Amino acid sequence: MKSVIRLLIPLCAVLLALLIGAGMLLSLGADPLSGYLTMFSAAFGSVEGFSETAVKSIPLLLVGVGICIAFRANVINIGGEGQMVMGALLATSVALTFPDVPSSLLIPMVLLAGAVGGAFWGAIAGALKAWFNVSEILSTIMLNIVAVQFMNFLLRGVMIDPAEVARGTGIPQTMRLSPHADLPILIEGMRMHLGVVVALLVAVGAYFLLWRTSMGFRLRAVGFNPDASRYAGISVPKNVTAALAFSGAMAGIAGAILVFGSESHRMVTDGSSTGFTGSAGFNGIVVALLAGLHPLWSIPSALLFGGMLVGANALQRAAQVPSALIIALNGLIVVFVVSSEFFKKRLLASGRVDAEAREENTLQKEKADA
Amino acid sequence: MNFSKKQIVASLVSLACFAAFSMTAVAADKLKVGFVYVSPIGDAGWTYQHNQGRLEMEKNLGDKVETKFIESVPEGQEAERVIRDLAKSGYDLIFTTSFGYMNPTLKVAKMFPGKYFEHSTGYKTARNVGTYMCRFYEGRYMAGIVAGKMTKSNTLGYIAAFPIPEVIRGINAYTLGAKSVNPDIKVKVIWVNSWFDPGKEREAAEALITQGADVITHHTDSTAPVLTAEEKGVYAIAYHSDMSKYGPKAQLVAVTHNYGDLYTKIAKAVLDKTWKSEKIWNGVKEGSIKLAGMNPVVPKDVVALVEKTRQGIADGSIHPFQGPVKDQSGKVVVEAGKSLSDKELLGMNYYVEGVQGDIPK
Amino acid sequence: MDKHLVLSILVAAIGAGTPFVFAALGELVTEKSGVLNLGVEGMMLVGAVTGFIAMTKSGSLLLAVVCGMASGVAMAAVFGLLTLTLMANQVASGLALTIFGVGLSAFLGLDYKSFSLPGVNELPLPLLSELPVVGKLFFSHDILIYASFILFAGVSWFLYRTKAGLILRGIGEAPKSAHALGYNVIKIRYMAVLFGGAMAGLGGAYLSVAYTPVWVEGMVAGRGWVSLALVVFATWRPARVMFGAYLFGAITIAQFHIQGLGIEIPSQLLSMLPYLATIIVLVVISRDAKTIRLNSPASLGITYHPEA
Repeated sequence: MKSVIRLLIPLCAVLLALLIGAGMLLSLGADPLSGYLTMFSAAFGSVEGFSETAVKSIPLLLVGVGICIAFRANVINIGGEGQMVMGALLATSVALTFPDVPSSLLIPMVLLAGAVGGAFWGAIAGALKAWFNVSEILSTIMLNIVAVQFMNFLLRGVMIDPAEVARGTGIPQTMRLSPHADLPILIEGMRMHLGVVVALLVAVGAYFLLWRTSMGFRLRAVGFNPDASRYAGISVPKNVTAALAFSGAMAGIAGAILVFGSESHRMVTDGSSTGFTGSAGFNGIVVALLAGLHPLWSIPSALLFGGMLVGANALQRAAQVPSALIIALNGLIVVFVVSSEFFKKRLLASGRVDAEAREENTLQKEKADA
Repeated sequence: MNFSKKQIVASLVSLACFAAFSMTAVAADKLKVGFVYVSPIGDAGWTYQHNQGRLEMEKNLGDKVETKFIESVPEGQEAERVIRDLAKSGYDLIFTTSFGYMNPTLKVAKMFPGKYFEHSTGYKTARNVGTYMCRFYEGRYMAGIVAGKMTKSNTLGYIAAFPIPEVIRGINAYTLGAKSVNPDIKVKVIWVNSWFDPGKEREAAEALITQGADVITHHTDSTAPVLTAEEKGVYAIAYHSDMSKYGPKAQLVAVTHNYGDLYTKIAKAVLDKTWKSEKIWNGVKEGSIKLAGMNPVVPKDVVALVEKTRQGIADGSIHPFQGPVKDQSGKVVVEAGKSLSDKELLGMNYYVEGVQGDIPK
Repeated sequence: MDKHLVLSILVAAIGAGTPFVFAALGELVTEKSGVLNLGVEGMMLVGAVTGFIAMTKSGSLLLAVVCGMASGVAMAAVFGLLTLTLMANQVASGLALTIFGVGLSAFLGLDYKSFSLPGVNELPLPLLSELPVVGKLFFSHDILIYASFILFAGVSWFLYRTKAGLILRGIGEAPKSAHALGYNVIKIRYMAVLFGGAMAGLGGAYLSVAYTPVWVEGMVAGRGWVSLALVVFATWRPARVMFGAYLFGAITIAQFHIQGLGIEIPSQLLSMLPYLATIIVLVVISRDAKTIRLNSPASLGITYHPEA
């Protein structure tokens, strides 16, 4: 029964948002039912559509999984945007430095570099929190914009494509990166690439990390009750930093995949302060929340949001409905998902104390095992 | 967005009927033309001009064509999907109207060899991909004449987006035009590193005005420079569209680009099956570049001089980059009696004499 | 750089800093009550679009300002409902508000995309504007900028000179004690949140109606996040918020003047500065418990459960 409620309430939230969205569609003179049908069939109705949806979902899933880890350790990571950028930058530098390394080695190298870049950027906020007590909410927000401007600086400077300089066009982008680092396409003629597999593996890996390793146990313990953890000899600063580093690493991989799985196979900036991430660093948080901070539930959750993005384009084409509607709808879903927490708690209220006690018991037991 | 339940139900029913009806009513032999825009259409600017061209084409060709546009399509991955979707859903001629659509357009064109693509401002063509752009610098040269005559401080302000040849060419042509009537002209350039950012454009305009510029022009997309000029009581030369309604006193003239004839011609060529992949570079001669919204304060003799220049450019007797042209260091870059070739124009990466500062690296 | 140039940079910096002043002073009051609202960007966007629509439809600046503020209040009310009544997580709700605001503003502004307005005239104050330096700096602006000066005075007076301000700060420090003393924590926090929303909406409306003045999707362009940074940078003090807002404004403006003078500094590095400075301030004030307690509201971001 409880698991049914856990599942049903977020679903209701999504449905409610879609209902309001239907009203907005109507106000624009479009038929909501056929509109939603168009969206759904574009995103999930064909192999090709699903391939597009899967590609769109990769960054959302990776960031979302990272958020699951951070939030479980009671660390609020809003720095996904910046961590993606830093991951992409480091991965790109690796591909620029070692263009001749064969694919079988270069692809793992760039993904690892992405993870390291993101982890580094996350760990800065983690260290500031752990040893200087700086709120990670505020520091990660600041670090987002620092990272994007740093990228703009590098792409106009040392990382710019020499051909752009020679031609005089000066577009801030790197050269086409080594083809050895191209993420292989999974289905001929479509865009689904290896990144999808990587993201799924990371999600499963995160699940094992959180619930099958002592590291994961310590992260959750710190998040659940820092005082008790300290008493039990778990280093809170180290684990807070680790949580942000893990979280950043996943965002960093997402950034790297965006570069090496893209059509242009290069990093490019429009010089603005928003970056190339398509707000996945923020939307990933929503994915995680909708999934109840569970890495595996994040998979369908990311597919839902990815599918909305793909469906939005189809809807715009079919009904000339502006894409703004979908962003608004996306926002509505977020608002409803956040507010649904309350009703979930209410409905589970009778069992709440039990659940907490149970959580504590498992923690105790796992600790005994570890 | 106030509506009652009844209205919703009513419109739902009528919409469903309409949708069912319109689906059966699509004519079979119409040429379906798709347009991909990088920004919203709005009421002025780059995309607005392209959309005007689309509407003119619709008017000219009547029921032979059916058009559809998709606006605010970001360059990159998103663009490829949108272009491919258009091709897949029966659009035979697709215009992609931003530089960054170059590679996506080429890629999709390869997948759909039976469809025709026209990419604006790019430099790569293919068997079924043509390119087209406008000789903005010709309009800039004429606008420079107006600015050179109207300035009192002899300092002109130029708000520029990115240091690429197209923008540099405009700055140089403007400077040469102004210097042709007023040798003491200095042109100050501020780069805002964005095609469209009203806040930055305004701040740049203010900075230029403070530094003594009394005529402002812009190679960016918003109306902010003209609005700022109006507010601060200086002149402005608008770009893309006639912006006189935002700066009735400030706007001296606007350099506009117009696509109605070109789009009509291309669509007709596809209909007649005579379409060829070309690199079209139209200017004053073809009516693609026009000056619009001339301010009544501009004296008659200046207007006459501009008109004479326009005719000269159209018949080829005047070239904006007619030698001798010196660069900033005083070195002659175009010798007397010569003018620049298209290839030299396309690769321009230096300032001519009279422009201040350096091109950012 | 000559005196004239410096003065005009400063004058322009006040214009550029004014959206920050509105939004950051509003957020300051919200945070002083112990609530962290990360939805500033979203509220500013919605304020910008409604202000713009009202101005286009009616031509009345007053109506535009009122509509901008009202829509900010409406957005803040959603946030209040989520965090204060439903006791949802403040960070998640704030982010939700921003994501929602981005979409809602784009949706509302569909028919107004990339349209422009004539702008708001400057209104030099008689006599005062003729004072040397100060006259040009402070008394030759449009009416909304004067409003921001008054807002600053009002917020400072309210927080530090009135009983209501004391209660508000008390609730931000120790909501449970305030509750025990008989104050309605939830109600007062609601009011602080709504005030923050009104000011964010006003900041957005200033941008779209007076500063640029056009409506473009996403035109707030990170100014909401800067405002959040500013509150921290200013260690939750109104006077420092003003200073920081104009400093951040001056950095943007100076970057163009420096270019016009032919000096090259990478603009990206300049754009980074405000955020780096904020991180440094964060490190300095967060180092030990004492400086934290002196500066930031103790219960900031923590959900208050009245029955507990």
